[in-house]
Formats: sequence, structure tokens, C-alpha cells
Amino acid sequence: MDSSLIFYLLSALSVVSALFVVFSRSPIYSVLSLIVCFFSIAGHYVMLNAQFLAIIHIIVYAGAIMVLMLFTVMLLNLNKTTEPHKTNMTKIAAVISGGLLMLTLLASIRAEKLAAYQSPAPSELGYVQHVGLKLFQDFLLPFEISSILFVSAMIAAVVLAKKEKH
Amino acid sequence: MNTLIYTSVLGFTTMLMEVLNLRKFIVPLAVIGLAVIFGLNLQDWNQPSTHFNDMLGVSNFSVAFSGLALFITMIILVMAGEYYTNDENHISDYVTILIFITAGAMMMMSFNNLVMMFLGIETLSIALYALAGSKRFDTRSNEAGFKYFLMGSFASAILLFGIALVYGSVHSFHLSLISSFISENSTLPPMFITGVILIGFAMLFKVSAAPFHFWAPDVYEGAPALITAFMSTLVKIAGFAALYRLVTIGFNNGTPQTDQMLYVVAILTLLTGNLSALAQDNFKRLMAYSGISHAGYMLLIVLSAKSHVSSTLFYYSAAYAVAGLAAFSVALPVFKSTGSELLSAFNGLGKKNPVMAAGLTMAMIGMAGIPPFAGFFGKFYLFTKAFESGLFYIVLLAVINSMIGVYYYFKVIMAMYGKQPDETQIENPLSYQLVMWVCTALSLIWGIVPSLLTDLLL
Repeated sequence: MDSSLIFYLLSALSVVSALFVVFSRSPIYSVLSLIVCFFSIAGHYVMLNAQFLAIIHIIVYAGAIMVLMLFTVMLLNLNKTTEPHKTNMTKIAAVISGGLLMLTLLASIRAEKLAAYQSPAPSELGYVQHVGLKLFQDFLLPFEISSILFVSAMIAAVVLAKKEKH
Repeated sequence: MNTLIYTSVLGFTTMLMEVLNLRKFIVPLAVIGLAVIFGLNLQDWNQPSTHFNDMLGVSNFSVAFSGLALFITMIILVMAGEYYTNDENHISDYVTILIFITAGAMMMMSFNNLVMMFLGIETLSIALYALAGSKRFDTRSNEAGFKYFLMGSFASAILLFGIALVYGSVHSFHLSLISSFISENSTLPPMFITGVILIGFAMLFKVSAAPFHFWAPDVYEGAPALITAFMSTLVKIAGFAALYRLVTIGFNNGTPQTDQMLYVVAILTLLTGNLSALAQDNFKRLMAYSGISHAGYMLLIVLSAKSHVSSTLFYYSAAYAVAGLAAFSVALPVFKSTGSELLSAFNGLGKKNPVMAAGLTMAMIGMAGIPPFAGFFGKFYLFTKAFESGLFYIVLLAVINSMIGVYYYFKVIMAMYGKQPDETQIENPLSYQLVMWVCTALSLIWGIVPSLLTDLLL
């Protein structure tokens, strides 16, 4: 099958499911359509020969994070279709600022001289060993430093969630 | 680079001391450790180097700002020992997070690569979201933490989007390659410009410049007062160091597009900060709006980046930091004794405790930019440099605004000397007094001999 056809299918799927996340009134449906959105983005990664990234994307986002969100929605019993009432002023401000951002982005895409679609980088680019080499040679410092970020995020979670001793 | 490693190791050490049941020694060890790191940091002076494929670049700029960051954290920790006396269960968590935030700030002061910048900003922000909400049984603190978290993660997403667009054009995260991309292309691709502007939005959010400032007053008000002191000094300075580094090294001292954006934002920030501060009756909210207006002044420095103003930025940051810390070293015991954070809590402080009142008066005068304090010369150098770079009208606006600023800083002074005192006694522990004396002395010394700091950086 033509690869551009797959591209358009995946793009349509991800855009529609992303819109559904925003417009769905029930949080459960939002989360479920977000899973669809993540899968279609993983499809894009495969199309770009980034197989490892696609798998990681599914495991981490569609697997771990989405399960966490579903649990949160269920445990906190957020599955109600009520929405907090927003004032008209907030809505107008949000529409104007969001619309301006979209206008800028669309205009810059239109003005950009995009190169014609060409077949992506060599198919072995996305193999684990290439990602690993890049990660442990060029990006060694960010890789190590991110451990500080994670430790401080964990301590931060403990600070907020530890049971108070009285 | 070494400074960053030492700081991270110190953070892990304080974390482990809780496990070893050495809770009493955590704050002293952290303060001494930071002092030692401050000394070790100076070894990198005049020895520029890059590390790990140009991920981090040590220069006099990064050494000076890292030194300032270490100093601020040291002062905050001295006060933390007193502030958290009744909260011993959490002291190691708080100290560790504060030290890790300092490590994040150092990344923001020495990055040569957008990935490192993002990691630095996230290390700083994520830990700060939790600290802002760390008074868990106080709804205002919960609101502050949650609001900061939602808005901050939105800004981080915009930052990532901008970085992605820039990467799409330049094919690299390195500031040096972005800089040569700008100088090689006479007309920049629209995608690249959009990316740069989105990165700019996120950075302006982090330094609370208008119109991205809406989070600041609520977060400053709701967060524990010590954390407010930390946010209004170190976090703002780290944000500006990162923005300045990004503009000077990455964007060739400012492309026409970034200059236009910063120009508009600087005008808005100056006006919003100063005019909104006039109506405040809460000290922390007042400091938030004062911080917004200071962000407006510091944006002038970034705007005049072409004329090599890193020493001006450093001097202004240092002056702003010591004045802010001195103000909070008086405000913290007053808040604790009176149980109120309104300006009326300072009523009659001039009679009850003349020394504290004098300290706060000097801090406020320093913030307003009245000689002989460092704040005056900070503003003086700033206006001169901005004027030399041809920013005539905005300097005029900034001068008018700093006059408006005098009014609301004097509102605090008026409350202390003009109003009648109430019954409550103010307890002023030794560590707060120490901080007040040190910071006021530094403000005075740097104000009398500005060349101590202004000659450091070229």
C-alpha cells in the first residue's frame, strides 16, 4: 500500500481522537480516546523507521501512564459528565488566544518551503543499538542528570503524600 | 560542571542523613557543604571549558551566577533551620529539594544545549511545585501548588514544542549551531521563528513577565513564606540567567523577532507589575508584583544584550537578591509572631523592634532603588546600558515606573513607623537576625563599592 495513504489515515485518526479527548464530556472516554491517539502517533514513529521509540511510546504512554490515569479517574470517581461552569469571558479569551496561536502555526507551515516527501532515514536508524549509542555518547550528561530530576520529583511526591504523624 | 556534581552529591547526602537518623545535623551540614562548594566553584574562575560534547559550558558567567545561587540557597537554609523547627519529620525532604533546585538552577546558568536547559528548568520547577504546596493542611498552599503545577507544565509543553520546531530547522540542540544557523541564513525559516517565539513564551512564563504573570501573585501568596523568599530570589535570577544565555549565545544577541517580542513584553511587565502592586495589602502579594516589575527591568538588560551587559545583569540580580532576602528575614518572624501576612502585621514595628524595622526599611529602600544601596546602582547601570543601546522610550517608562515603585515600598515603611503598635510581641530568633545583618551589609557594601561586582564580568 502507498505509504502516504497510511500517513494520511494515521494523521486523521490522531487528530480526530485528540479532538475527542478535548470535547468528550466524560473523563473515561477522554482517556480512552487518548490511548487511540497515542497508538496512532506510535504508528507515525514506525513510518519514520523509529521502531524502538514506537514500542517505548506504547509501553510508557499507552501502557503505564494511561493505566495510572484510568485508575485515578475510577478511584476518585470522576466519571461524571458535569463540567464546572466557565464564564463567557474565559471562553472568549481562550478562543482568541488559542485561535491566534493556531493562526501563527498554520501561517508558518504555509510559508515554510517544505521539502517533498521522501523515504525516511535508513531502516536500521531506529534500532536499539543506535538509540543506545546516541544516548550514552552524545547525550550521556542529560541521561545522568535526569536522575536528579527523577529523585527530586520522587521526594516531591513523598512530601505531598506522606502520612502525617501526630 | 564540578560545582553541579558536588551540589548533586550534597543533595543525595542530606537525603540519606534522614535514613541514618542524623536529622539534627542536616541543616548545618547543608550550609557548610554549600559554603565549601562556593569555594570550590571559584576554582573555575577564568578557566572556561566545555563538558560532555558541549552540553555544559563553564565560563565566568556561569561561575558568577552559580556562586550567587549557592549563596542564596545558603541564606535560605540558614533560615530554614529556624522556619521548620516544628516540622522535623520533613526537614530532610525540604533541604534536599532546595539543594536539588539549586542544581537545576546551575544547569540553567551553564547550559550549551537546549536539552540541558530543559532539564534544568524541569528540575527547578517540578521540585518547586511540591514546595509551593508543602503546607498540606492549608487550602491556599494547596491552591498555590496546584495552580503552579498546571500552569508550569503547560509552559513546559510550550517550551518543548518550541525546542522541537527549532530542532526541525537547525537539526541540532547546540546553542553554537543555532547561532551559526541564524548568521548563515539571511531570511530565517518561519518554522524556526515560531519555535524561537514559543521558547520565549515559556521562558517569560518562568520569570513571571506580563502577560504570563497571572500565576505569580497567587503562588507567592499561597506558598510558605520561606519558599516565597526562595522563589522571588533564586528562581527569578535563574530564569533570567537562562534567558540571557539563550539570547546571547543561542540567538546571536537577539533576532529582530525576539527583540520585538521582548520590547512589548517589557513595557507590559513594567506597567502591570508596578500598577497592580499599588493596590496590594498582603506583603507576599506585594513582593510578587514587585518581582514582576523587577522582571520588567531585567528584561531591559536582555533587550540590550548586544552591548555585553552580563555584568549589569549580575549586579542587578545580586542587589535584588540581597534586598529580597533581607526583607524576608524580617517578614518571616513578623508573620510567625502575628499570624498575619498582611501589611498591617508590620504596624508599629518601628516602636516594638527598631532594629528589625530599620532592616526592613533598608531592604525596601534598596528594592526601590534609592542610594546608597546596591539596588540604586543596579538600576543606574541598567538604565545607562539600555539608553546606550538606543532604548530611549522604554528607559523613560522604566524611570517613571521606578518612581511609582517608591510609593508601594514606602507603604511598608509607613506601616512600621506611622501606625500604632498592637499588643503582640515579635520574637526574632538569632538566625533571622544574622541573615538580616549579612544581607543588609552586603547591600550597603555593594552599593558603596559597585566595582566589586561590576568588574567581574565583561
